[in-house]
Amino acid sequence: MVAYILRRVLYSIPVILIAALILLWGVRETFDPCAQFRTSRGGQASVERCRKADHLDEPITSQYWSWLTKAVQGDLGQSERTNADVGSTIATAMWYTIQLIFWGVLLSALLAIALGVYSAVRQYSVGDYILTTLSFIGLAMPPFWFGLIAIQFLAVGPKNWFGLDRTIFGFVGLHNGDSTGFDLDYVRHLVLPVLTLTVQSIAEWSRFQRASMLDVMSADYVRTARAKGVRRRDVLVKHALRNALIPLVTVMALDIGGLFGGVIITEKIFAIPGMGRLFLDSLQQGDAPMLVAWTVVTAVFVVLFNLIADILYGVLDPRIRLA
Amino acid sequence: MTTPAIEEVRAEEGVFEPVARSQWQLFRRRFFRHRGAIISMVVLILLAILCFGAGFIAPYANNQQDLLLGPVSPNAHHWLGTDELGRDQLTRLLYAGQLSLKIGFAVAIISTIVGTMIGAVAGYFGRAADQLLMRLTDLFLLVPAIAILALALEKFGHTDTVIILFLSLLFWMYVARIVRGDVLQLKEKEFIEAARASGASWLRIVVRHIIPNIIGPIMVNVTLGVATAIITESTLSFLGFGVQPPQTSWGNMLSDAEGYVGTSKSYLLYAPGIMILITVLCVNFIGDGLRDAFDPQSEKH
Amino acid sequence: MIRARRSLIALVALLAIVLAACGSSGGSKSAPKTSSTTGFGAAPSGTIVVGAEQDAACADWIDKCAASSWGAWMMQYQTMPRVFDYAKQGSDWVEVPNVAMAGMPTVTDVGGKQTVTYKISDAAIWSDGQPITSNDMKYTATQLASGKNVYDPTGYDQIESVATPDPKTAVVTFKKPFASWTQLFSADYGIQPSHLLEGKNRDQLMKNGYSWSGGPWIAKWNKGVSVTLTPNPKFYGTKPTVQKVIFKILADTAAQFQAFKAGELLAIYPQPEPSAIAAIKGGVPGTQAVYTADTANLEAVWMNNSRAPFDNKVVRQAVAYSIDRNAIVKRLFGDIGVEKPMQNLQPPINSRFADPNAWSQYTLNLDKVNSLMTGDGWKKDGSGVWAKGGKTASFTIESTAGNKRRELTEQILQQELQQAGFKMTIANKSADDLFGKILGAGTYQMTIYAQTATSLNPGLCAVACTSAIPTKANGQSGNNLSRISVPAADPLLATVDSNPDVQARITAGKQADRLLGDDQVSIPLDPLPNIVLWSDRIGGPVADNPVLSMFWNMNLWTLKG
Repeated sequence: MVAYILRRVLYSIPVILIAALILLWGVRETFDPCAQFRTSRGGQASVERCRKADHLDEPITSQYWSWLTKAVQGDLGQSERTNADVGSTIATAMWYTIQLIFWGVLLSALLAIALGVYSAVRQYSVGDYILTTLSFIGLAMPPFWFGLIAIQFLAVGPKNWFGLDRTIFGFVGLHNGDSTGFDLDYVRHLVLPVLTLTVQSIAEWSRFQRASMLDVMSADYVRTARAKGVRRRDVLVKHALRNALIPLVTVMALDIGGLFGGVIITEKIFAIPGMGRLFLDSLQQGDAPMLVAWTVVTAVFVVLFNLIADILYGVLDPRIRLA
Repeated sequence: MTTPAIEEVRAEEGVFEPVARSQWQLFRRRFFRHRGAIISMVVLILLAILCFGAGFIAPYANNQQDLLLGPVSPNAHHWLGTDELGRDQLTRLLYAGQLSLKIGFAVAIISTIVGTMIGAVAGYFGRAADQLLMRLTDLFLLVPAIAILALALEKFGHTDTVIILFLSLLFWMYVARIVRGDVLQLKEKEFIEAARASGASWLRIVVRHIIPNIIGPIMVNVTLGVATAIITESTLSFLGFGVQPPQTSWGNMLSDAEGYVGTSKSYLLYAPGIMILITVLCVNFIGDGLRDAFDPQSEKH
Repeated sequence: MIRARRSLIALVALLAIVLAACGSSGGSKSAPKTSSTTGFGAAPSGTIVVGAEQDAACADWIDKCAASSWGAWMMQYQTMPRVFDYAKQGSDWVEVPNVAMAGMPTVTDVGGKQTVTYKISDAAIWSDGQPITSNDMKYTATQLASGKNVYDPTGYDQIESVATPDPKTAVVTFKKPFASWTQLFSADYGIQPSHLLEGKNRDQLMKNGYSWSGGPWIAKWNKGVSVTLTPNPKFYGTKPTVQKVIFKILADTAAQFQAFKAGELLAIYPQPEPSAIAAIKGGVPGTQAVYTADTANLEAVWMNNSRAPFDNKVVRQAVAYSIDRNAIVKRLFGDIGVEKPMQNLQPPINSRFADPNAWSQYTLNLDKVNSLMTGDGWKKDGSGVWAKGGKTASFTIESTAGNKRRELTEQILQQELQQAGFKMTIANKSADDLFGKILGAGTYQMTIYAQTATSLNPGLCAVACTSAIPTKANGQSGNNLSRISVPAADPLLATVDSNPDVQARITAGKQADRLLGDDQVSIPLDPLPNIVLWSDRIGGPVADNPVLSMFWNMNLWTLKG
C-alpha cells in the first residue's frame, strides 16, 4: 500500500511541474505585465527596465527554472497585479474555497445518498420519477444559470413579494460587515453558493447511488439474507447500503477535483474572494506568478483526491488489493 | 455486421416461427422504445430548424437596434421583450442558437473522430503509444481547462473557430481515454485474433473490426460531448471569454443579463438559459436512448 | 432509519429558514446588537459598511500603482494631508484650502520667478503627535522630482527649490511659470511624512499599507477583501463620530448593487453601468440617490490620427457624422437624467476653459457623410462599404474587455456605422494590454476609454499636443495616445499650461477646442456620470466630489439606528 502511494505521488510530481510550465508559457505568450509602463514618464526605457527586473527577457525555460528554485524554498513570488505575496494571497483565498467545497461535498453526499437510496428502494414510484426528472434537469442546467435563477427566486424574489426587510439568503460574500465565525448569518450566506456549486454533483451522484444500490439489492447475498428472514430495513442498511457506497465514494473523490473548476463560477456570481475569484482576476491581467502557483496548488489537490479515491477503493473493497 | 439474433416469435395461424433480426434493426427497435429519446429527437430537430432558419422565421432583422425603445418587457410586439439596445430578444435567441448549436455539434464531432482514432490506435498497439496517450491526457486533466481556453481566445481572437478548435483539443482526450479502455478489452477477443491470423493489416482491423463494435459507446460519447460543449461554451461566454459582437451565443446573452437579477429587466435571464436547458436535456435523453439501444443490459434499472 | 434521517434533515432546514426570516423581520431599525457574532446581520453599532468596486494596487501613492482611483478614495484621501479641497461656487468648482492649511497659498513673483508660499496650520499634526511641517512638503517634492518608479512627476520637475524658513511655511520656487501649480501636493500625491520616511525605503514601508495618518482616519488594508477605517484620535479637524468604516471590496457592480439593496452595504459609488442604472430606476426603498454629470471624467471614442483610415480628416469627420451621440447618451444614461453628449475633449470640471460647442456640429447626418466621402473620392462597394484605391473604410475598435457599458456603446456604433457605410470590428482587450501595449505603441485604430482629471487645471495639452505624442525621440513617453497633431492648436494649448493669467488660459483653451473640433481629432461622448447612493441610516452632508469621490467627508457622517 505504502509503495503504491509513493509511486503515485512520485509520478504526479513531474506531471504537475510540466502543467505549470505550460501555463507559464501560455501566460507569457499572451500578456505583457510591463506594457503598462509605456505611457509613464520613462516610456520605453521604463518598459525595458521592468522587463529586466522581472526577468521577462530571458527564455521561458530559465524563467521557469528561477520560479521553481524559489518555489521549493517556499517563495512563490509576488503577484504582478497587486504586488502582494503570492503564497499568502493563495492561502487566504484557499480558506474561502475550502469552506465552499467542504460544505458542498457534505451536502451533496448526504443528499445524494438519501435521494439515491430512496429512488432505488421505491423504484418506479412517483417519487422516483420526480427525482429522476429533477436529476436530468440538474445535469442539463448550466450551473451559472442555476445560480442566477436561485438568487432571483430564492432571495430577491421573496423579498419583493413578501415585503421582507432582508433577503432570506445572503448572496454577496460569506459574511456581513467584517463578522467572522460560524453563525446563522454565515449559514444564510452559504446556502445559495453551495447549492450552485453542487447542483450537478447532487444530480450525478444520486443517479449513481441509485444505480449502485439497485445493483446491490439484486445481488445474491441480499436475496439470501431476505430469504433467511432478515427484515428489509436491516438488509438495506447492513448489507446493501454499505456495499453500494463503495463505488459512490470513489466517484465522489474523483469529482471533488472538478469542484475546483466549479468554484470559479460560484465565486464570481456570489462575490466570494476564493481561489476561483483569484483565478479569474489573475487571468484577466495575465498575472503569471499567481497563475502558476494557483495551477500547482489546484493540481496538488486534484492529485490528492484522486489518490484518496484509489486508496478508499482499495480499503473499502476487500477484493481489491492495491499493488 | 449482420450477426443474426433470435429475437421475436411471431404467431401466425398457430405456427410458431423464430424470426431473425439484424443488429441494426434490433438497435432501431430498442431506441424507438425509449420515449424520451424520441421526443427529444423531435424537439432537437425542431430547435435546429427554428435557429438555422432564423433568417426566415425571426420577426426582426438580426441585431436590429431601436435605441428609442430601449428595454421593454415581453409584449405583443416582442414576445420575449427587448434588451438595452431595443433588440428583439426572440430574434437574438434564434440567431444565438445557431452559434451555440454549431459549436456544440462541431466540437462533439471533431473531438469524437479524433479521439476515437487516437484512442483506438493507442489501445490496439498498447505499450508506448498507450502510455504516451495516458500521460498526455493526465497532463491536460490538471491544467485548468478554462485557463487554456481563455489564453487561447485572448491570443488568437474571440472567434467561434478558435472556440471550436480549442474545445475539441480538450475534449478529444476524454473520448480517447474511454475508447482506449474499450479497445483494450476488445483486443483479446477471438475474432480479432482470427483477423490478425488471416493477415489483415492493423488499420483494417481497427477500422473494420474494432471500431464498429464500439460504435455504441462512441455514439453515446458524441451526445455527451455535445452537452458538455454547449454548457462549456455558454460558461466561457458568461465569464467574458466568448465571442464578440455582432456574433452572439446563448451564453453571451446570459452574460449581458447577469446584472439584471432582481430588477425589472430580469426577464432577460430566462429565455437563453431555458434554451440551453432544453437542448442539453434533449441531448442527454438521446444519449440515454442510445445507451439503452446498444446495450440492453444497461437498460432497466 | 433512512426515513428518520430524511425527516430530520427536512426539519432542520425548515427551522433554519424560519429563523432567518424571523431575524429579518426584526428589521434594520432594531436596537444595536453588542456583539458582531449574534448572527442577525447587523454590524456593530457605529460601523458603516460601504462598497468598493476595486481594490487598491498598492498604498505607495507616489509609485506607479497609485493610478488606482479606489486606492486614493479609500485610503489616500482619508489619511494624507493635502493643500486643497474642492468646493462648488456657483456653477464652477474651485480649490479651497484643506483643514491642514492655515489659508490659501499665495503666489508672488520673486526675481522673475513664480513662487508659491504655503502656510501649514499650527494644529496640523500626524497621528504620532509630530507636527506636519514644511519639511514634509520638501520631502514630497524631492521624492517626486527625482525618485524611481514615480507615476508622473509633471509639475514637480518644474520646481527649482523648496525653502523652509520655518516649520510651518514652505516656499516653492518654479524654474518657469507653471500655471497648474494648484495640482501639486493635493489630490495627486498629498503630503508625505518626512520624519517617518526620510532616508528609508518609502516604497517598502508604504506599499502594503501603513498605520500612521495625517487625516481624519487610520486605514487598515486587508488586501483583496476590505479596507477598515478607524478614527485618528490626533486628528486636528472635525473628528469622525462613526466608530468604523469598512470598505468591502466587491469587483462586480451588479453584486455591489444587490448587496446595497439587501442592506448589507450602506453606501455605494457604482460605475454608471446599465445594470446599476436599471436597478436604480427600479427604486430602492430606504435610500437616497444623487446623480451628477458634473464629473472629472470624459469618455470619448478616440481615433488614432496617425493610422489609416483615421489619418484622413475627411474620414474622421464622416465617421463623426455617422453616429447619433444624442441617442447613445440618452440610451445609456437617460434613466438618471443625463442626456447631453460632451461637446469638447475636456471633463466637465474644467468647463471654464472649454468651448461648449466645439463638437456641436457633429450630429447624425448621413447626407453629409455621403457628400464628404464622395468628395474625397470614395465609392460604396458591393457590400455597401466605402472603398477607395482598393482599400475599404473598415477598422477595428479595441476597448477594455468586461465593461458592459463600453460593449453596448461599441455595438451601437457598429450598427450606426454599418448603415453609413463603415465596417467596424470589435476586439476588446484587457486593460493593461490596452493602455500599455496597444495604445502606447499606437497599433490600434479606434478605442473607447475615459480620461479622469485629478485637479481643476485643464490638461488638454497632455493628450492633444504634438509634443506629447510618444515617439522614439522622447523615449515613447507621452500621453497623446491618439497621436493628435493640430499645429495651430499647439501654441494655444501650451499657453493654457504655462500662462498663470487665468483669463489668457480661458481664451486660449476655447480657441484650441474649436480648432480640435474642426479637425475632428476624436469623438467626445459622455461625462461618465457619478452615482452616489446611500441608506437613510446615514446622516450628514453626503455629497459627491468629482475629484475626491463621495467618501471625501466621511468624518462628518453620522449613523442612525
